[in-house]
Amino acid sequence: MATVTETGKGEAEWEVKIPEKKLKDRLFFENLKAMVIDTQMCSRCLTCVSICPSELIVNEEDIVDFPNYEEKCLDCGACVRVCPRYDYKPKSGLGDYMEFTAGKSKRFKGQDGAMGTEFIFSAIDMGLIDRGLFVDRDEQWRTSVFHVRGKEQLEKLPLGGTKYVFADILPELKKAVMFSKVGVGVVGTPCMVSGIRKLQEEFPVFREKVKLVVGLFCTENFHYNEVSKYLIEKGVDFSKLIKTDIMKGKFVATMTDDEVKFKVSQLTGILPSGCNVCTDFTAVESDVSVGSVGSVAGFSTTVVRTEAGKEIWDYIKKMGNAEVGEGKVEELDFLINHKKEREKNIKQ
Amino acid sequence: MKKVGTPEYDLSDKLKYHVSALSTAAKEMALPLNITTHYPRERKRQPDCFRGYMLFDPERCISCFQCSFVCPANAIWMKDAPSGRYYPTVDYGKCIFCHFCIDSCPGGALKTTKIHDVAYKTMDEMFTSTEEMIEPPEIIREDVGVVDYVIDKEDLSLKRTKEKDALIVDVEPSQGVPMVSVCVDRGSCLACKVCDRICESGAVSSVVEEATMTVKMAIDAEKCTGCGLCVKECSMQILRLVRK
Repeated sequence: MATVTETGKGEAEWEVKIPEKKLKDRLFFENLKAMVIDTQMCSRCLTCVSICPSELIVNEEDIVDFPNYEEKCLDCGACVRVCPRYDYKPKSGLGDYMEFTAGKSKRFKGQDGAMGTEFIFSAIDMGLIDRGLFVDRDEQWRTSVFHVRGKEQLEKLPLGGTKYVFADILPELKKAVMFSKVGVGVVGTPCMVSGIRKLQEEFPVFREKVKLVVGLFCTENFHYNEVSKYLIEKGVDFSKLIKTDIMKGKFVATMTDDEVKFKVSQLTGILPSGCNVCTDFTAVESDVSVGSVGSVAGFSTTVVRTEAGKEIWDYIKKMGNAEVGEGKVEELDFLINHKKEREKNIKQ
Repeated sequence: MKKVGTPEYDLSDKLKYHVSALSTAAKEMALPLNITTHYPRERKRQPDCFRGYMLFDPERCISCFQCSFVCPANAIWMKDAPSGRYYPTVDYGKCIFCHFCIDSCPGGALKTTKIHDVAYKTMDEMFTSTEEMIEPPEIIREDVGVVDYVIDKEDLSLKRTKEKDALIVDVEPSQGVPMVSVCVDRGSCLACKVCDRICESGAVSSVVEEATMTVKMAIDAEKCTGCGLCVKECSMQILRLVRK
């Protein structure tokens, strides 16, 4: 949707097209609240938080909210314009791709092949981007987002590895886009990727600056408060926790001296409602999708989808930054179908 | 290596210089001449644009923060006033009296004075609040005359006049470089209308057309004072100040 009509009077006059309100005579945020948040559709990708000009939409107590919106909302409609779930067009399957392969980074260590990290740093080495966003965690496994501009920053941070907890990547992405002179690279879950694409569709500044979007394979993601409470009940000691993973239907929390395993189905109680309507496992809209399913242990399955992704993948191969493995498409079928079944949960 | 020695004078030169020195000494004894001002009984006449103590007019301030942004010594701190506005305070312990703040003020809220002799007992006192900047500080004037320095025929002489110099004068505000706000990326505009709300001079307008669901945005270059408030507030950072 192009939103600007050129009036031909220089830079002093312009028009902005705002979306139709589904609920007339109500604020745009009230529309978003009624259509997405209250209907349990919200995935908490935080695209609305990142774009809100009043910066008052917040992610509090695991719900996206705008306290005192009756007075403070500017009613610009930006949140509705960018929300990937407002006019939800669910994506599923493996999506279009140019190359289905697997890789193992020689430079970085991660949960599997650390290919997410490798793609961002190779893009920095190529000069395609000047800053990448990474999710770091503290000792309590709370997430925070870091702007990384060079390899030396990586040595101090335990970056790689799945956290299974939402991170505020998109609000940071907007900051990164404002700061960046060249471009920004970002790694995110499928809902975040959809949010980024929606931002790019609406606003040229994001089209111009966000050069690389690495999507992660994602079955579901949890909210910190809920999952930490659950894991502590199960006997997980956060100070000793090394990594978390989901393998063969089991959630595995590896600690320095112990391992806690239980069936993923036990987590359905705390499954966020937004994930319940998400059908996208492979981040169909990303430049490159990365995940552990579909390749042997130690390798990351890498699905190269766009020209930008292909360019970086070729660079990685040329420079020998990663070992190239083999990806097995059929291994993804189970989880793709598992997520496709969630289509029935969508009522709109 | 070249050595520098004392100059060699012959007897006639020595006599000439001695006579000259003695005559100057005799002249000074009879009629003493000085080229210094007898402060505080006299004051040197300063030009009207003298960079001295600053006064502030809250009526003209639009809280654009320009003075605090431009200050090279970081002496200006914007503090919130009861009216919900932000007004400048000056730390004279840091101020270097460059008066960039006065030159950059789009509304002419800051004004220079010829006051240069304010004494403080502690460093904390040098931190001048907004209220203290509105009225000139209390000065004990002991001066009865004004001194003008006159340069003629490469000689400096003093002209003394019996009058009190006005320390606070109206000065024509500096014109500066006329700037205007423009939108450089119209496609990324959110139509949040923050620029319209913040603009003091009414240069930015936004009209919502319900029928077509469009917002018409416009910046009137004639009305724009180039204060840069909208540029700072724009959440998408798509406004820029350019030369008019």
